[in-house]
Amino acid sequence: MKSFKLFTLLVLVILLIVSIQLLAGQTDNSVALRGAIVHTAIGPPIKNVTILVKNGKITAIGKDVNIPRSVKTIDVRGKIIIPGLIDIHSHLGGGEDINEWPQPIGPENRALDALHLEISDWMEAVKGGVTTIVTGPGSATRISGQSITIKTFGDDLEKRILKKCGEVKMAVQGKNLSYLPLIKSTFLKAREYMEAWEKYESGNKKDSPPRRDLGLEAIVKVLKGEERVRCHIHYASDIIQFLKLKDEFGFDLTFEHSTEAYKIADEVAKRNVGCVCFPLVMQIGLSEDQMRGNAILHKAGVKIAMHTDALVSQQKWLRLCAALALRYGLPEDEALRSITINPAEMAKISNRVGSIEKGKDADLVVLDGPWYELKTRVDMVFIDGRLVYDRVQN
Amino acid sequence: MLIQIQRKNSKSQNVSYPTGIIITVLMIAIIFFSAVPVQAESIIAICGGTVLTMTGQTIRNGTVLIRGEKIEAVGADVKIPKGANIINATGKYVLPGIIDAMTYYGIKAFDLNDFTNPITPQNRIIQAFYPFGDDFFRGKGGIKPDKEILCGGVTTIYIAPGNRQVIGGQGAVVKTYGKNFDSMILCEPASIDMAIGDSPKTRQSVKFPYVSSSASQAERSILVSSPTRMAQAALIRKALIRAQEFDHSLQAYEKKSEAERKEVQKPKRDLNMEALVKLLHKEIPARIEASLVDDIRTAIRIADEFDFDLIIDSGIGAYKLRDLLAEKNIPVVLGPTSHPFIKGGEASRTSELSQIMDEGNAAMLSEVGVKIAIASFASGGLFGDAVQGKWLLLEAGLATGFGLPDEEALKAVTINAAEILGVNDRVGSLEPGKDADVIILDGPPLSIKTWVEHVFINGELVYTREKSK
Repeated sequence: MKSFKLFTLLVLVILLIVSIQLLAGQTDNSVALRGAIVHTAIGPPIKNVTILVKNGKITAIGKDVNIPRSVKTIDVRGKIIIPGLIDIHSHLGGGEDINEWPQPIGPENRALDALHLEISDWMEAVKGGVTTIVTGPGSATRISGQSITIKTFGDDLEKRILKKCGEVKMAVQGKNLSYLPLIKSTFLKAREYMEAWEKYESGNKKDSPPRRDLGLEAIVKVLKGEERVRCHIHYASDIIQFLKLKDEFGFDLTFEHSTEAYKIADEVAKRNVGCVCFPLVMQIGLSEDQMRGNAILHKAGVKIAMHTDALVSQQKWLRLCAALALRYGLPEDEALRSITINPAEMAKISNRVGSIEKGKDADLVVLDGPWYELKTRVDMVFIDGRLVYDRVQN
Repeated sequence: MLIQIQRKNSKSQNVSYPTGIIITVLMIAIIFFSAVPVQAESIIAICGGTVLTMTGQTIRNGTVLIRGEKIEAVGADVKIPKGANIINATGKYVLPGIIDAMTYYGIKAFDLNDFTNPITPQNRIIQAFYPFGDDFFRGKGGIKPDKEILCGGVTTIYIAPGNRQVIGGQGAVVKTYGKNFDSMILCEPASIDMAIGDSPKTRQSVKFPYVSSSASQAERSILVSSPTRMAQAALIRKALIRAQEFDHSLQAYEKKSEAERKEVQKPKRDLNMEALVKLLHKEIPARIEASLVDDIRTAIRIADEFDFDLIIDSGIGAYKLRDLLAEKNIPVVLGPTSHPFIKGGEASRTSELSQIMDEGNAAMLSEVGVKIAIASFASGGLFGDAVQGKWLLLEAGLATGFGLPDEEALKAVTINAAEILGVNDRVGSLEPGKDADVIILDGPPLSIKTWVEHVFINGELVYTREKSK
């Protein structure tokens, strides 16, 4: 009787394991894309390639990839595949909640807490081939809060998020002499706050602890080099001054919009500061000289990324931003990098996304023509190995 | 007509006057002409390019012959006269100058809108047009060719009063370069510019510091608040009814005999009403900015009530009314494909707008025969003047990705725009007799990699791309 019970238990356990495996087999979304020209974003384009995707990751890429019989194969001959695009500066999902005005200093604000996920804008982004965005607070206040790095599609919010919070958005524009001192005072306060905590912790926590301050905690992470500052900036004069602030406090920095960074490209390059650059599609009447700024920055050795500043311009046109940079002198491979691997590196998510490599998330965009051409359409978009947009079926 | 009369007169004079006088006149003429050298009309032959005329067949290896300010001949076997300045366009594309059917180019931002009053038909945008270069108080003077707009091949533009008023005033069609101010103007007034919907509502913060004391209490309360869509329509109707009354009293006065006229007072002149009467007489059309489907319906409704010619501006939801627009023969001037919404207002983000926005708008309208133009709607930008018009060919190219045939995309920024603006007798295509506004491109016109190399306006080379960069 006892052995029968044990046997039943054993059978049940085996059944459970088998069913789990079966279920897992159903959701692993293995797929092979065969025959396209692939722009990996880390090397020259490769022709007639097979990309094998399993469990949301790229498991193989090459000309002689063995496709298991059970795996669904999609024929993409004549198509172009590029990595899922990354917009490093967006306000998608922020709605009317991105500027805490008139609170000038609010590093404690988190974009995640205001994110509207149930709007159609996210699917529009997918249709444009944009698979990951850094979206966050606006520029109406000096320190406006922390951005979120998130995929544009996914059922499970936790899995969808690449980075919940941490990156601190700041904004300077040469309109007011008090802008920079306000930011500098915050850094000074954060340094004192950090020192107070260090003192408390090194003193074996005998004294009463310093009072917690969420805003300063965020800035302390910046001071420790754990998080980057994203600074909205236009004028070369402001850029010089903010670089001096970086020299003083030594934080990790990217410039956002970087309108006149090209005028002092060497100063920016010297400090290894990445620039998130214009144009916002064809939204703003930038001059021909300004349009050539991206090529100048690249030549000087500055890492650049394009952005849409959605909803200033529409999220889906990110590819067009890079195409315009190409038109105005940025080399073709660098232009593609500016919407893929460069922003991934700047946002410190390049271990997951930004290029087509073995082991990375299977975020892929299938196009029906050259990635930069006006007429070219997005045919298919995969996010985490899942086909989330198919133009023919739509 | 004038020229013919003069010719006839001179003929009869030749017959009746003695030969001595004729010889004297001839001698004087010879002395005069040798002293002041006659500026010979320059002849330019653009040869060997792919010529896209926009009204006929595409001509491979074609020639465009320019004499003076006009196009003399277009074709594959054009005989090139002696002394012609030959431009080799082998491997290039030759097109008529690009036309931007809706801009605020050359207008300082503070001149765009009159916030004191939502209804100002008398305001003429030409009076704020400033083609004398960017720098106020600096520069050498004269009309400046602006490479920031010419580099896009844009040779003709429509300039409009701002869209924050319900009836902003009178728009104009101008060229982007001319020898002097007047020679830039193709048509003025070209239309009465109006706006329905969110645009006239967005300036919530602006108070109207001055309201005409003649306005009634009710009118004043409308003026000081931002008008709702109901008030916008009511304000337009009211203005047009006043214009009808003005027109009737004027006509009644004119029908009277001299004696009768002495008995009554002559109707007072009123610039606002005179402008609107032109609309009612169909001398000029109304251009009504309407983005949402219901706003377009309102515009059509008012046009039907008062029987005037209508052009829809922006028309983001126009594809949903495409059959109606086709039936009523109402053209639509669309915004740029990449950002069709009207700039500068939160209105651009209304949920309804983002729900109806469709890149296939141009293609769907064009398919059922609605005449469309694609325009920049460029207003004073963040970091410079309104120059997005220079990317119109790119915006047209984008529309081809969403089903608009290449030819229709090009027409939307050339001949169709010219027809909508009512200036197709002068510009919009490469045809003999038209103004010599010609552009030469270094590749297919709808590719991101293609650049405008040369721009001719009125037969004059006004822009050449710097190659070194």
